[in-house]
Amino acid sequence: MKKSSKAVSLVLITATLASCSKPTETKEEQQRVFMRADSSAPYTEVTDQYQQQRNSGGGMGMGSALLWYMAFRPMMGGGMGYTSPGISPQSNVGTNTSKADAYKKQTARGGFGNTAKNNTVSS
Amino acid sequence: MQIKYITPQSNWQDRLEQNGFGYHTDEHNTPYWVEDYYYSISESFADEIYAATADLWEMCLKAVDHVITNKLYDQFQIPLFFHEHIERSWENDELSIYGRFDFVYDTVERQLKVLEFNADTPTSLYETGVVQWQWMNTYFGNSKDQFNSVHDRLIETWKEAKAHLKGSTLHFSCMRETLEDLTNIEYLRDCAIQAGIQTKLIYIDDIGWDGETFTDLEDEMITDIFKLYPWEWLIYERFALHIPNDMAQAQWIEPSWKMILSNKAILPILWELYPNHPLLLESYFDEPKGMQNFVKKPLLSREGANVTLYINNQIVEATKGDYGDEGYICQALANLPNEGKGYFILGSWLIGQEPCGITFRESDKRITTDKSRFVPHIIE
Repeated sequence: MKKSSKAVSLVLITATLASCSKPTETKEEQQRVFMRADSSAPYTEVTDQYQQQRNSGGGMGMGSALLWYMAFRPMMGGGMGYTSPGISPQSNVGTNTSKADAYKKQTARGGFGNTAKNNTVSS
Repeated sequence: MQIKYITPQSNWQDRLEQNGFGYHTDEHNTPYWVEDYYYSISESFADEIYAATADLWEMCLKAVDHVITNKLYDQFQIPLFFHEHIERSWENDELSIYGRFDFVYDTVERQLKVLEFNADTPTSLYETGVVQWQWMNTYFGNSKDQFNSVHDRLIETWKEAKAHLKGSTLHFSCMRETLEDLTNIEYLRDCAIQAGIQTKLIYIDDIGWDGETFTDLEDEMITDIFKLYPWEWLIYERFALHIPNDMAQAQWIEPSWKMILSNKAILPILWELYPNHPLLLESYFDEPKGMQNFVKKPLLSREGANVTLYINNQIVEATKGDYGDEGYICQALANLPNEGKGYFILGSWLIGQEPCGITFRESDKRITTDKSRFVPHIIE
């Protein structure tokens, strides 16, 4: 195992980030982007929000990272699942009953993570 | 070992960013990633690192057994309510994926010496396994080699781990808004996906407690969770008491027994168990016990925080931070190598219990901190 890997391929990271540093397209050429937060939900078009993020990132360093964050992070917590305030409520929940139940259920959150606010994890 | 230079691509930063490496340069425009030179090492030196890592891992496992058998938890400042969880994770041989030994090559003794073991939340995995490999591929194609099968080993280890998961979904968790941690956790998740494991990402503060089990944001019960978040933080937070009381007895990866190895208290324990072992530096709890040249380190400090370096019993270098209340160890000062670009240490990765890759970190000062540079290497 002292030799190097023969090939290194990624399925998650590259696919997300590769799109972040492409040059900005004109409105006519823009790829239309639709999002939903549940497979049972209808899509909401978010092309404008998506382009705004791309342009503010501009493919430069941490700017690209910002978009990556947006792609992964839950925009609202508190039992709503991975949702986004940028899309309609229907696109967040759809007919997913377990997700709808999550609105009602009283699960406590935020019990981990407080130490992180003052420290770095890296070691 | 020597430094060799290459002519970097004009757009090398773009290449790194396109490959998902967004923190190659810090907010002060200081490079973290070094593109234009590398450490050239021999095959025999790579062999030496491999053997040292494998030997130390065996020694560490025996040291953990010694600590658990003799219940030496107080020396590690581990609270009583968590002892049983640690013992259970050890007895059940719960999944452990990785760790990174930090070595120094002592220039006088001409010998690798272990500085510490990042056994719980080691980072720079993505830089080692992917970025460093892609750098070699960019400049040398197939003509050169690295001690770097991190990527293969991660996928293989997740394949082996799959059969030992308690549930059908493996959750991955880290703190939010930290690009380095997110990159590392997503890389680990990427490899797990390639190993055929169903995964979900959840930020550490999004983890829920429903009164019986931990849950994700879709209220799915968490049965297995890989966390890039230190145990010594988790066990002092509000949900800590739920961990041993969890009805699902979720499998936490790295397991809680790794708290023993990631704590610098393991260094004097190792010295006690293996006195004068060539891979170890003389180490003691609290006091230098006659050593004139030594480093005083808090049991739990991270990224070189609150470390004080003494030469002839005088402080010559020190770092700030918030650690130290938990106690200190004193470790003999090694003769640090410097090939002209800075002091460097070697990180040696152990994945699935096998040594599989190395990392060079370089600093202008003797104490390695989060400002230390990552330098690629080549075997030639």
